[in-house]
Amino acid sequence: MSSSSSSSSQMGELVADKHVRYILMSEKKKESFESVVMDHLRMNGAYWGLTTLDLLDKLPSVSVDEVVSWLLTCQHESGGFAGNTGHDPHVLYTLSAVQILALFDKLDILDVAKVSSYIAGLQNEDGSFSGDMWGEVDTRFSYIAICSLSILKCLDKINVEKAVDYIVSCKNLDGGFGCTPGAESHAGQIFCCVGALAITGSLHHVDKDLLGWWLCERQVKSGGLNGRPEKLPDVCYSWWVLSSLIMIDRVHWINKAKLVKFILDCQDLENGGISDRPDDAVDIFHTYFGVAGLSLLEYPGVKAIDPAYALPVDVINRILLTK
Amino acid sequence: MGQGSCSQEDSFDLLNQFEHVLDSDPLIDEVGFIHPSQFTMLDKESGSSDYNKTSTNFWNQDHKLGISTDILTQLCRVAKHAFLAAFNEYKRHENISSGVSFVSKVMKHSQAVLLLSSDFGTAWNARKLILSRQNQPTLEAFTEELRLSRLILSNCPKSEPTWSHRRWIIKMISRSFSTPQDIVTKESELVESIGERSKMNYRAWYHRCWLVSYMTIEQVLQELNKSKRWAGLHVADSSCFHYRRRLMLRVLEPLKVKGSNANDDETEAHKIWMEELDWNKELVKRYLGREALWLHRRFLSLNWIMYFCRNQSSETGESIVMNEETVIFIDNEIHLLESSMTVPDNKFEDFQAQALHASAYMLWLTKHIPKLWRMLEEKLGTEKLKCVLNTVDQERPSLLLQLKHNNDY
Repeated sequence: MSSSSSSSSQMGELVADKHVRYILMSEKKKESFESVVMDHLRMNGAYWGLTTLDLLDKLPSVSVDEVVSWLLTCQHESGGFAGNTGHDPHVLYTLSAVQILALFDKLDILDVAKVSSYIAGLQNEDGSFSGDMWGEVDTRFSYIAICSLSILKCLDKINVEKAVDYIVSCKNLDGGFGCTPGAESHAGQIFCCVGALAITGSLHHVDKDLLGWWLCERQVKSGGLNGRPEKLPDVCYSWWVLSSLIMIDRVHWINKAKLVKFILDCQDLENGGISDRPDDAVDIFHTYFGVAGLSLLEYPGVKAIDPAYALPVDVINRILLTK
Repeated sequence: MGQGSCSQEDSFDLLNQFEHVLDSDPLIDEVGFIHPSQFTMLDKESGSSDYNKTSTNFWNQDHKLGISTDILTQLCRVAKHAFLAAFNEYKRHENISSGVSFVSKVMKHSQAVLLLSSDFGTAWNARKLILSRQNQPTLEAFTEELRLSRLILSNCPKSEPTWSHRRWIIKMISRSFSTPQDIVTKESELVESIGERSKMNYRAWYHRCWLVSYMTIEQVLQELNKSKRWAGLHVADSSCFHYRRRLMLRVLEPLKVKGSNANDDETEAHKIWMEELDWNKELVKRYLGREALWLHRRFLSLNWIMYFCRNQSSETGESIVMNEETVIFIDNEIHLLESSMTVPDNKFEDFQAQALHASAYMLWLTKHIPKLWRMLEEKLGTEKLKCVLNTVDQERPSLLLQLKHNNDY
């Protein structure tokens, strides 16, 4: 495989400073319809923005106290976190809250027993996880539970064996995974299932060549990756497909240089931010996935990110290497 | 968007106006956000002169509702505030009888906010909470939820919390009022009509796959028939073909357990599988270079070989025996590959895509059944085989590397 970094100078650079400014500004823009419609998932938005800043080594430009005190107002009496103050808790926001505290090295302010009980309480008899008390089941929630509890060092609170069995039951004939048994393979779901299996040391359940085949067929002519057959490429799959390929040790099966170029082509060179495809409108979600994708591709100037935990490697090392 | 600095009073007026429109036309079946300049155009189109124009904010005619993009931000913000305030009041009074008066407020404001922001989970949860706390919820109350979520899907067909709410409601209905089979049929039709406007919609097709576990085997067969026409007209929609795969696996299920009807089941499944393979071949030849069709064929062929091309003595589907039937089947597949390899002119992208998908298809099968390799060498000959390998090598060199690694060639 050709190396990606040697040709990067010809294809335009990552405008890191502009992305940092875009992220810091987007928090202040609250007038648009988009920001009003998104405020129920502000916790996810905070995770995307803050992780991007950390990958670009600019986390110190954020007020830790401000973020953490807001974050704590989102915690529900059950222990779970909501997407914003006064909303209902859900594991989707609970993982983001845990990840944000991990970034700031502030996990010690958490009542770990309470948060972990909330998550563990959502495991079902068959090993699957519900997203909240209303019972929707999805392998995304399995990943979230396993990832959060691993960061909190509480995996013993759930039945890991059953959790793994359930994920394996969602494997399809094409080697991919869906959200429940028999559901269509989707790169986002594959990331969740492979990530959960990686964290629990169960990757032997994955047919790596078969899954790698499906994943590398996601690369389209432009170099970008799609999430399912016949779909357009999208920067967010740079994360989901790439991280999965890395976890199963098949990342050399795609053309990395072409993917780097595709991501860089999705930047707003003037105002910062990254979009799903070249010339589309940027948003914080794709900015995070673009930068995280470049991190996995070892782009210079971007810190390394852990493909399973979706946090910078130094953050994960700090957590996992301490008792 | 304008009008950012409107007074609180103006905002509440706007919310009242919106909720009044919703109240006065309970049969609204489609909603959308439209630019105010489209209002007059819509008036002309509907050709109605007696339309009582009361607002430049909402357009409501023939049970269609348009909301002006000029007021979206303001309306959404006030609806969220009103909903969260009402929901807090409700939770504070839930054990007192006066709590009843907050129920209607929560229902009214959650409906308003969800029509504007369909992924706002807390508003869906509030509705679930109220329904689940009723002593004897009526079927009408659940049907109303199906109506509201359907209306919201007309504007936001990918909204996952909306689809999830429908599943919760259907589970409640099947628990309290026995499983009504016609719900499954209606849901299935809903997904198909949404799939028409929103292509390759994972959430919509997932919902249809979810229904399969509620279906009787008769319904499974009906669904296979009913979705065939749609699939034939949308050959790039891989999600629709996945739905068919889900149905077809249900057809195979009886074969996995030994029973008295084993032979009948096998004959039926055999017939269905053969028809799907033939039909897929027609589509593959008619629509060149469609990835979704070739992926469907991978699934069909591998299962065909595993379930129907095995010796009676072979108990498990896993062990693949090269018996006569397998050889005939593979022979036909090699013919299909050969006919898909001709690219008349290098400029024709569809032909190139067809050659790539056909070659990748055959190599994918070879990965599962290494014995196939020798048949390919015999039937195709060295030159043609080289051509197949080159086609894949140009686009996806890694696939060849892994085959070389696994097979000894």
